[in-house]
Amino acid sequence: MNLLDINNLHVKLEDEDRDIIRGLSLTVKPGEVHAIMGPNGSGKSTLSYVLAGRAGYEVTEGSVTFKGEDLLEMSPDERAAKGVFLAFQYPIEIPGVATMQFLKVALNAQRKARGEKELSTPDFMRLVKDRAAKLNVSQDMLKRPVNVGFSGGEKKRAEILQMAVLEPSLCILDETDSGLDIDALRVVADGVNALRSPDRAMIVITHYQRLLDYIVPDFVHVLSKGRIVKSGDKHLALELEEKGYAEFTESAA
Amino acid sequence: MSTALARTAAEEALGFQLPNRRMEDWRWTDLRQLIDKPYPPRQKVEATPADVERLLASSLFSGVAATRMVFVNGEYDAKHSRQANAFVESTAELSDPVNLMNLAFATDGARLRIEGNVDTPIELVFISTDAAARTVATRNVIEIADDASATIIETHLGEGSYLASSVMEIRIGHNARLDRIKVELESHDAVHLAHAHVVVGRNVTFRDFTLTTGARLNRQNGTFRFIGEFADAKVAGAYLLAGKQHADTALIVDHEVPNCASRELFKCVMDDHARGIFQGKVIVRRGAQKTDGKQSSHALLLSETAEFDAKPELEIYADDVACGHGATSGDLNHDHVFYLKSRGIPEAEAKALLIAAFVGEAFDTVHHDGIRTALEDFAARWLSDHRRKG
Repeated sequence: MNLLDINNLHVKLEDEDRDIIRGLSLTVKPGEVHAIMGPNGSGKSTLSYVLAGRAGYEVTEGSVTFKGEDLLEMSPDERAAKGVFLAFQYPIEIPGVATMQFLKVALNAQRKARGEKELSTPDFMRLVKDRAAKLNVSQDMLKRPVNVGFSGGEKKRAEILQMAVLEPSLCILDETDSGLDIDALRVVADGVNALRSPDRAMIVITHYQRLLDYIVPDFVHVLSKGRIVKSGDKHLALELEEKGYAEFTESAA
Repeated sequence: MSTALARTAAEEALGFQLPNRRMEDWRWTDLRQLIDKPYPPRQKVEATPADVERLLASSLFSGVAATRMVFVNGEYDAKHSRQANAFVESTAELSDPVNLMNLAFATDGARLRIEGNVDTPIELVFISTDAAARTVATRNVIEIADDASATIIETHLGEGSYLASSVMEIRIGHNARLDRIKVELESHDAVHLAHAHVVVGRNVTFRDFTLTTGARLNRQNGTFRFIGEFADAKVAGAYLLAGKQHADTALIVDHEVPNCASRELFKCVMDDHARGIFQGKVIVRRGAQKTDGKQSSHALLLSETAEFDAKPELEIYADDVACGHGATSGDLNHDHVFYLKSRGIPEAEAKALLIAAFVGEAFDTVHHDGIRTALEDFAARWLSDHRRKG
């Protein structure tokens, strides 16, 4: 069964008339890694927000099916409990909520929603310590409020840590490479690669090919003006890097 | 200016003219309008030990080891108190209406003198039991000797309809430390009018926290005078208000001498039709150089009909000072709520987490772990009870 089916999706901002996503279709099977590349304004971030369920967008046409269910009918927390995870391009700072507490509340809320038993505090601590060590996330970071005062690299690592703890079945990485130097990028990419598995899929949204040297995709799609205009394998990313987006964006017009 | 307003029934019963909106400090809290029934003073009300014990059990600090001093309906209750009164005199000359009324009607109050380091917190509990509407007034004097230190809790509790008038006069000696925690947990049908007058000596550490959540109408005045150099005062507060509750805090921090630091931080949560007000004035007297005085008030409005007004004021007569103020007011940040939901946390739980984090910053002023935990637990309970009702 397909994990995700996006069929002829049209999306606009609630308070504007112009469609940002204009007839996008995409099928993702478990275990696959899809890269979505495109210039600024092509609709990449909108796609990630619509999949995660952020308010302010209106789907005017089409459908999104996740694990056989209508994703668009679900609230953001229901989507998360079902296995959707969005790693934010700009992770949000939450003053006053310690990262550790946040992770525990989130994991147990998801487990509860799925009818699973909540994790005991010692089991939870063990899980987080194990995942955090692999991502160079310090104990100090875990004690600090969510993302508050984190550097750009720390924020991205914290996102991947959340992903590693929550173990979603669909990971959407929105410009995870932005603002990272090459060392930070490698740590984040290693973290993502460690999560690759036959029953987990990923959608890697990026402007640059660079990230895809580290997270090698099975499929590459070019997004332009709200539509996928070309799909291929990892070689397509290299071609884009060489030629730029102009060729594709023009053909889409 | 004398006013020609006819006395209201409430004013008749008190024999006092109540503050009204024509007075600048009372513009948001017009007691003439808001106190709409008589609360006659000096009414003797007997309470059964069972009533007292039931109310005592509802103190947030029943689980915290503390030496208690209990006042029931304005009278010292020896049976439930572990701490006796001392001989300390009132010295403050206070002429504002809340004080004058208290001076006229106070029937009793705590008199405490702290010497040396008192490790166990002292809890002053002021209880009003259910009876005919009346004014219950206590006047309290606390003296912290030089080099002494203490943690003093003030819990105000009650049932039924009454007007609680409380004046707390506190003198903190040189090199002393005082942590004061006040919890206003009055009956939902009560009026709470209070004044804390604190004189801060040289090299003092003073931390003050007030939780305002019980009474239908609350007005708390605070005056904090720095009379010795190198003292540090933190004055924090939290409001948890719903329904038609109204709370107004008016503080004056008076830097009379150089080299002192003051911080005021108020975190106010208002839902339904609740209304919160914070008026803070920092005065830096001539010659009070190197004063570091900052105040901030932040409101979280959970409904469109809740309201918050802030009036920060700085009055500075010295030129080498660092003073500032800030006030914000708004609803929950939608990006924060979405971020938590995107991690699987349901909306109600996400909001409760954010509200607790918002007021939590004010709780950090409380250093005693057991007391702070009791406050945090109460806030969590308030949020969940409140959500269930809503």
